[in-house]
Amino acid sequence: MARPGSALWLLCHEVRMFWYTTLSSKNVKDPRGFHWRLIAVWLVLWALLHAGAWFVVRAVSGGEGDAPQQLVLAASVLLVATFLFMLSSALKSSVEVLFDRGDMDLLLSSPLPSRNIFSVRLAGVVLGVASIYLLFLTPLAHVGALQGHPGWLALYPVLLGVAAIASAIAMLLTLALVRWLGARRTRVVAQVLGALAGALLFILSQLPNFAVQSGEGGQGMLMRAAQNASTIDARSPLWLPGRALLGDPLAAAIVGLAALAAFVLTVTLTHRSFTRGLQLAASATTTRKAAAGALRFRFGQGLAASIISKEWRLILRDPQLISHVLLQLLYLIPIVFMVFKKDGTAPLAVGPGLTLLCGSLSSSLAWIVLLAEDAPDLLGSSPSDARTIRLAKLAAAIGPVLALVCLPVLWLTWRTPVSGLLAAFTICGITFGSALIVMWTGKPGDRGSLMRRAQGNGARSLFEIAYLLGWAGLAFLLPYAASEQETGIGTVAGIGAASAVVFGVLFLAWFFRHRSG
Amino acid sequence: MATSSLSVTGLRKAFARPAVDGLDLHVAQGELYALLGPNGAGKTTTLRMVAGLLAPDAGRIEVNGIDLARDPAGAKRSMAYLPDDPMLYGKLKPTEYLEFVAGLWGVEAALAEPRARELLDWLDLTKHAHELTEGFSRGMKQKLALAGALIHEPQLLILDEPLTGLDAGASRQVKDLLLSHVAKGGTVILTTHILEVAERLAQRIGIIQHGRLIAQGTLDQLRHQTEADTLEDMFLQLTGQA
Repeated sequence: MARPGSALWLLCHEVRMFWYTTLSSKNVKDPRGFHWRLIAVWLVLWALLHAGAWFVVRAVSGGEGDAPQQLVLAASVLLVATFLFMLSSALKSSVEVLFDRGDMDLLLSSPLPSRNIFSVRLAGVVLGVASIYLLFLTPLAHVGALQGHPGWLALYPVLLGVAAIASAIAMLLTLALVRWLGARRTRVVAQVLGALAGALLFILSQLPNFAVQSGEGGQGMLMRAAQNASTIDARSPLWLPGRALLGDPLAAAIVGLAALAAFVLTVTLTHRSFTRGLQLAASATTTRKAAAGALRFRFGQGLAASIISKEWRLILRDPQLISHVLLQLLYLIPIVFMVFKKDGTAPLAVGPGLTLLCGSLSSSLAWIVLLAEDAPDLLGSSPSDARTIRLAKLAAAIGPVLALVCLPVLWLTWRTPVSGLLAAFTICGITFGSALIVMWTGKPGDRGSLMRRAQGNGARSLFEIAYLLGWAGLAFLLPYAASEQETGIGTVAGIGAASAVVFGVLFLAWFFRHRSG
Repeated sequence: MATSSLSVTGLRKAFARPAVDGLDLHVAQGELYALLGPNGAGKTTTLRMVAGLLAPDAGRIEVNGIDLARDPAGAKRSMAYLPDDPMLYGKLKPTEYLEFVAGLWGVEAALAEPRARELLDWLDLTKHAHELTEGFSRGMKQKLALAGALIHEPQLLILDEPLTGLDAGASRQVKDLLLSHVAKGGTVILTTHILEVAERLAQRIGIIQHGRLIAQGTLDQLRHQTEADTLEDMFLQLTGQA
């Protein structure tokens, strides 16, 4: 047993709390027992990943001995991509550690050294960030080891090392932001940076689309870049991440040492900044000075306008929601490229892309606006008509979504009127419908649980996914049918099937709606 | 006989066990009525039913002569309910919160604006009017929620533990506001665990236990009934906790 008050003891406490709050049974009779069903699902998934990995490894490993050049290149790209995703998660976790952990007052008021508290919190971030990648990538290492590449087991320390480097950078960045911008702005900026880091690889992958004018095209550029990269010697420092991942002892040792140095230096140099950051974060909500100026009111807006303006204010001031929406908007980038691209593929691809984006955004905003109401008693005790309130909230949720895609749809309509109008139809359909499904079947929660809103609400998630796919199908097939000289039976059948899914799901969601509401 | 602002007859509500069990309650216009009772006696359940937030299993509630079950919007128009832990929107400023509440009750701008200024001023919130409410102390939140409850000038004000957690200054401001509301002909019904508040403010006191009204009257009437000197002694004696 670890000595009470030591860093190890605190780490054990963290792990125990993680178990109680995340993985343990939801059974009221045994609330801390094993969540057998969840564990079984994960074990089955892990076994399936091993089966898949068996074929992948056999295809790419190239026999015993030194790893082939292309495998080193692929492993390097994989590790860099993993690092970017880890950085994104670590930024979010750092913000959470600073702002959202309810036990910091207790810990800081205890005689525990701040260095211990900080090192345990940072270790918690590292483990949290690494866990999902360990789950998905370790099957490759296990299978690789069985097929004669024991060095691939270096994936364990290398992934943990990369997670430690990403977490150290994220924590340093967050603490620096607290110092430069103050606690309040840090929360927003760090969430946005996290979203950008996560999407950086995606954004980079879209850069070749800038080359459309060269006549070469994006894919051609990527192929040429890959060919050029493969001519660089495998022993080049550029491929150190890949070599580390594939078990090169020197490369793995360099990654390990860099991780250890990053962790120790971060803890040693910034544990006081961490304590200061926590204090700033705790007081961030109480230190803001009132802006000068006379009282200005906008009374008399009417019920619907009052509700819509209240909801929009809350949306605009919610950093978590902004980063969530921003991340989804990043996926507009390829669609925007397609809209402005002068070839025939644009109308077929843009419609489904915009449609899916609107459905997903509408669903998130509808949940926030309709189900994450902070003051239900206030609304319930008012004489306002509950139906009017619901409709105003619905308008508040779908308004921003339609406003966001207005411009690309207008541009598309100007270029190809039929495709533009069909896209407008599918966008309106999915935006309204997704919000209605949330309203009918969603489970109320607090705003902070936006990302976890699907938990324990499987039917609604199923409705949402089926509805999104149905509309995406329509968004693809309708312009396709319009562009054909003679519409084939397959296209007609596809449109019929997609329509049946869309209307069937909407009917089912209405049928199984919460009757009390 | 004074006109009844709140009339509750045979009110019943059961969850796992009866929470309110055949309650009769009549509060006259211009009266400040304190509803006391031990924890779990059914006070909050009663107030939530009166505010239209909880449907009773049986019984009738009339607010200013309007049957709550038949015309909920009409009844709610003339009352306001303040829960013990009022939830404000953390990302709204007090001015925006009051605009929203006025929108819910459909208050005209010409009436709402001077009222909002007066309330913010009276409750000492004007200097915080441009701050987000997430940074407010418990007392400031309670005062802003009270301002929201009063923005439409309700005849009946229903308050669940309105003074819990307030400092002496804030408590005085709230008490003054309630007395002023009553002086203007308004009605207040409140629950409190601070017996001194009930003793000093309330014209009549009702004591509820196991969902039933076990005693009711002015302080003198209760004193006569129990032969105890202080409200604390009366309360403990009546609820069998002495």
